[in-house]
Amino acid sequence: MTLQRDVIAPKNPAFDMSRNLNLPLSSAIRAGAFIFVSGMVAIDPSSGERMHGTVAAETRQALIALAQVLEAAGSSLTKAVKINVLIYSMLEYNNMNEVYREFFPDEPPSRTVCGARLSGGSKVEIECIALA
Amino acid sequence: MREIIAAPTPGLDLRRHYGHHQTPAIRAGGLIFCSGMVAVNPETGEREHGTVTSEARRIFENLKLLLESSGSSLDRLIQVHAMIYDRIEYDVLNRLYRQYVPNAPPARTVMSVQIEAGFKVMLDVIAAA
Repeated sequence: MTLQRDVIAPKNPAFDMSRNLNLPLSSAIRAGAFIFVSGMVAIDPSSGERMHGTVAAETRQALIALAQVLEAAGSSLTKAVKINVLIYSMLEYNNMNEVYREFFPDEPPSRTVCGARLSGGSKVEIECIALA
Repeated sequence: MREIIAAPTPGLDLRRHYGHHQTPAIRAGGLIFCSGMVAVNPETGEREHGTVTSEARRIFENLKLLLESSGSSLDRLIQVHAMIYDRIEYDVLNRLYRQYVPNAPPARTVMSVQIEAGFKVMLDVIAAA
């Protein structure tokens, strides 16, 4: 049996990074019981441009974008099962963690955080697997 | 259905010890998604910094505890992101790694990244429930 594979596009086209940033990716893919979301960065919801700011500010915007993509797929942050956070420096771990916890008040998903060099000058990138 | 898997021993609850806003693992859709595992003492939660070999061994032992407490095991790993602090230790990691997954090893990606608190190794795992 072939598993169905659906491309998910965010309702607000500003969060469509493949369109606005000319990237060869889908915002998310639904397959089986899961939604696989591309790494989300801080995006200005009115223009679709990258928003550069502090780790705290970028974490907030990236999670807002992630929530929008999940909602477009009929899912939500509360259904997230695994999140990977990439930050430009692990010295900023707590600055990310403090904003992050606001978005997951109880039963947070499993998570892996690592420091990596990100593209386009972003300081934070967040990818996710969620239940559909 | 999204089921939280609690830490099988007190030391493996990194949220309690270090404020990491995460669950040790989640079972969903027949899979188990583990948070990034680092070398901590499974009873006390104390960080056990060491060599790539000693950290990886501790991580695999902790992963075994976590997976077996949820009805899975090291034989049921599906995908591993093996993170190391420096690619130069790639072969060192492999030597220890193959001891723990001798047969039909899981899909794996190794990447060189910065890991929390000066650790040298972190494993990010998805297993079959």
